[in-house]
Amino acid sequence: MITPEDIKMWIEAGLSGSQVDVTGDGRHFDAVIVSAQFEGKSAVQRHQMVYSVLGEKMRADIHALSMRTVTPGESVPH
Amino acid sequence: MDIQQHIQKLVDDNDVMLFMKGTPDFPQCGFSGRSVQILQACGVETFGNADVLMDNELRDGIKVFSNWPTIPQLYVRGEFVGGSDIVLEMYQNGSLQEKLNAPET
Repeated sequence: MITPEDIKMWIEAGLSGSQVDVTGDGRHFDAVIVSAQFEGKSAVQRHQMVYSVLGEKMRADIHALSMRTVTPGESVPH
Repeated sequence: MDIQQHIQKLVDDNDVMLFMKGTPDFPQCGFSGRSVQILQACGVETFGNADVLMDNELRDGIKVFSNWPTIPQLYVRGEFVGGSDIVLEMYQNGSLQEKLNAPET
């Protein structure tokens, strides 16, 4: 079973310098991702960057992942 | 017509098009249901919709179409707006209402 820590580790490994907080129950996860690499990117582009880091895991292992993607200067929406 | 052309036609033919699990009346997933509720809260009562659970080719094809691995997916006037999180965020900050109510160009 996938843990929130797994997802945190995968995203942080793929998006260097990012800070990731993940909660979840093994099927549904909620991630707050803070990364300077999101600067100048649209919300769609930011999510695509994370999806691309997760690759096949997104299709096969992770049932649902909610994301909030912000730069270090932005506040996290609720 | 291949699946990508079929998806393009759905997106072109419907000003608001939602690819979802289930139907607006009977959504089969909380994220799809939430997107339907948000569209309705924005005053969009009728919109194009396609149930990916009824069509495996569509379910796989839509993920390729916008390089987006999850469902639901919302398109407005041909533009990919986002998935469930982005739709919620845009609704909360008012930009979704703006996009939906923008005059025809």
